Amino acid sequence: MFKKGVPMNNRFNLVVMSLSRVNRQHIQLFFVLLTLTMLVLGAGAPDDGGGNSLK
Amino acid sequence: MILLAAIAGGLLLGLCWARWCGQPYQPPELKYLWFVFAGFLPQFVAFYLPGTRQSISEHWLVFLLPLSQVLLLLFAWLNRKLPGMLTLFIGTALNLTVIAANGGFMPISPQTASHLVSQETLAKFQLGDRFGTKDILLLPQHTRFEWLADRFLPPAWSTYQVAFSFGDVLIALGVFWLMARQKALNTQGKTV
Repeated sequence: MFKKGVPMNNRFNLVVMSLSRVNRQHIQLFFVLLTLTMLVLGAGAPDDGGGNSLK
Repeated sequence: MILLAAIAGGLLLGLCWARWCGQPYQPPELKYLWFVFAGFLPQFVAFYLPGTRQSISEHWLVFLLPLSQVLLLLFAWLNRKLPGMLTLFIGTALNLTVIAANGGFMPISPQTASHLVSQETLAKFQLGDRFGTKDILLLPQHTRFEWLADRFLPPAWSTYQVAFSFGDVLIALGVFWLMARQKALNTQGKTV
């Protein structure tokens, strides 16, 4: 997993960097999904009869 | 539900697209997010929050829904350069037009409503009554911009029946493309 000859500090920095990158992307995706969900619920107006669509 | 399915479908296609290109999935870079939070909050309180949705009078609701949609429209306009956002903007504008022209609610005809609820349930409603979440029961001849109202239905064989407008179709297409579209990345990981 780790290359030989890479100092421990650098390895730690690489792990922290990749973790923070993953978290940042996940958080960005979470906010995009939350925003778009609110946007379509607010802008759209489909109606299924108040959740009682099955006759 | 159909609009949330469009988000999920777009995300799924975007993930497959990104995998096909051998690059990480790139969510759209939205700006001015607070417009959506500010725009959706009144609707959340008025239509979705169980504790408050019964307590807000219709006099307020007729202003709340168009006002909320104006903020959402503004957000879509400010982000119009993103793929799919202009389609979403037009869909929102069409919904806002028909809602504002018909007293602050989305019109639905009794005939369309009869596909969503039983005849016994429909008989309890009168013309001009609120129906479902954002709709109002109106005859087509008394509806302004009737072609923009909730008048479309899925095929009869579908177990999930929902009435939707032309604006809803554009919103669904726009958000689907917004989530699905992936830009090609160069070797440095930046968009080409």
